[in-house]
Amino acid sequence: MDQRNNKLGWMFASPYLIYSLIFFFVPLLWSLFLSFTNWDLIAPTFNFVGISNFLDALQSPAVHAAFWNTYKFMMIFVPLVTVMAIGVAVVVHGLPRFKGLFLIGFFLPYLSSGVVSALIVKGLLSYTSPVNEFLRGIGMDINWLGSPFSALFVVGLILAWKFTGYYALIITSGLESIDKEVYEAAAIDGVKDSQRFWRITLPLLYPSLYTTLILAFGVTFGIFTEVYQLTGGGPGNATNTWQMEIFKQAFSNMQVGYASAVALLASLATFASIFVIRKILEIWGKRNGWV
Amino acid sequence: MVGSNKRSGARRAVRYSLALALLLVMVYPYLYMVLSSFADWTQIDKKLFPTSFTLKSYEWLFSGGETGVTRPWLNAFMNSIIVSVASTALMMLFGIMVAYALSKLNFFGRKAMNNFVLFHMFFPAIILLVPTFLVIQRVGLYDTYLGLIIPKAVSLWAIFMYTNFFKAVPSVFIEAAKLDGASDLKIMFRIMLPMSKSITTVIFLFLLMERWTELLWDMIAVKSDSMLTLNVLLSQMFGPYGSYPGPLYAASTILTLPIIVMFLIFSKKFQEGMQFSLK
Repeated sequence: MDQRNNKLGWMFASPYLIYSLIFFFVPLLWSLFLSFTNWDLIAPTFNFVGISNFLDALQSPAVHAAFWNTYKFMMIFVPLVTVMAIGVAVVVHGLPRFKGLFLIGFFLPYLSSGVVSALIVKGLLSYTSPVNEFLRGIGMDINWLGSPFSALFVVGLILAWKFTGYYALIITSGLESIDKEVYEAAAIDGVKDSQRFWRITLPLLYPSLYTTLILAFGVTFGIFTEVYQLTGGGPGNATNTWQMEIFKQAFSNMQVGYASAVALLASLATFASIFVIRKILEIWGKRNGWV
Repeated sequence: MVGSNKRSGARRAVRYSLALALLLVMVYPYLYMVLSSFADWTQIDKKLFPTSFTLKSYEWLFSGGETGVTRPWLNAFMNSIIVSVASTALMMLFGIMVAYALSKLNFFGRKAMNNFVLFHMFFPAIILLVPTFLVIQRVGLYDTYLGLIIPKAVSLWAIFMYTNFFKAVPSVFIEAAKLDGASDLKIMFRIMLPMSKSITTVIFLFLLMERWTELLWDMIAVKSDSMLTLNVLLSQMFGPYGSYPGPLYAASTILTLPIIVMFLIFSKKFQEGMQFSLK
């Protein structure tokens, strides 16, 4: 650690230092400051309003909805995407050739814009669409985006569709790292084919599964595009999310102070939830002796 | 033996058909998008596989059809290219520079900075959205290309990935180059970068794709029609073009195509890079 390395190190790291100053520390402090004001984005002056923004936010039905919907999306999206990703990974892993090509194909939905996915799904679920024609034919008339549960489900499904290929990639590389000899040894020890997945594959897959689960849980705290495009948070507040609420308050209603307070609450909820989820996943792994 | 060969052959066929069926379900919606963009308007959103085709949707998109208002689709496409390419180039450059410092230069505060990058990466960015907008507005970059590019000029994920990769490069190479009198800049671009081609492909594609499909920031950072990116323009036309799904599918196809082409061009290097990055 000499003088030269010190100088060079700080020089090479300076883009990040400047960036984090302007786009992390300044905004963070500014946001804290704003959350105690009633500034409206336009007026030259503003007043300090103490904690009233926080009190308002804690009583707002839209904020309650954003809070709970995160966990509703979680309950739909996480199991769905995990099962789909494991399914894709297991099927692709068993192929002797063209694994990479298949994985790239499954990866395509991850690459495309959420706006496009929303448009396609909207078309596929429109009133005159073949899907709904068929469903009406068997006596089911579903207004997909018009009722709270199905709207939640549609958004969750779009997200699962988007992320399946990405997570399948991670799980496939987990499967690749499992030694074939482990299976042979298990066969000699009398583990049946039907038990193989639960008793051998899953425990050895835990590290990759842990990664995908953490990523998937994280996704549910940042849902915006699909909801903005398809429901605008509706019907009512049924699909409202944190990002949607903050966007609406800050840039439609110009309530910057209030939006900052909501953003602070959102960050706290995110931090706390991710912490708890990580702990649960780790305990789950340890209990079963997987880590 | 013959029997078991036959059995494994059948098993293989089942596996391939299963994989193919799954793949078709997953990519079908994009097929639907492309087919619908070329479909006769009477069949759009009425047939899963349209049978009669026309270029009307594309013509309509650029002429505005009976609405009589032309939207700046071409301009938006160019904006998307300018913004994505500039942003991605900066994210790569700064990612490599900072990661080189964090992995190979033994400077005071390095460990703390490494930890901070991790903290920053997992920090809920939502709290920064509104004040970042205010920063951009105060420095006069609202409604400019720079306002779209600069807040997205540094990627923590890129720094993190490159740092991990560079750590794995033996320092012997660097010491040897230094003895030969190579500067750190030269080491970075002539030694480290060529050694990390496949991981660079992965990082490049992910960053480009993410920047290309960004909605929230691109929506709030600009106001004039001439500054819109393609993704935002498409998003805005959802309502006004509500009864014209054909042109919307055409615009979606135009938006999606470049990223898929890029991906197919780099698919081999991408596969290699994924192998490393997932370890």
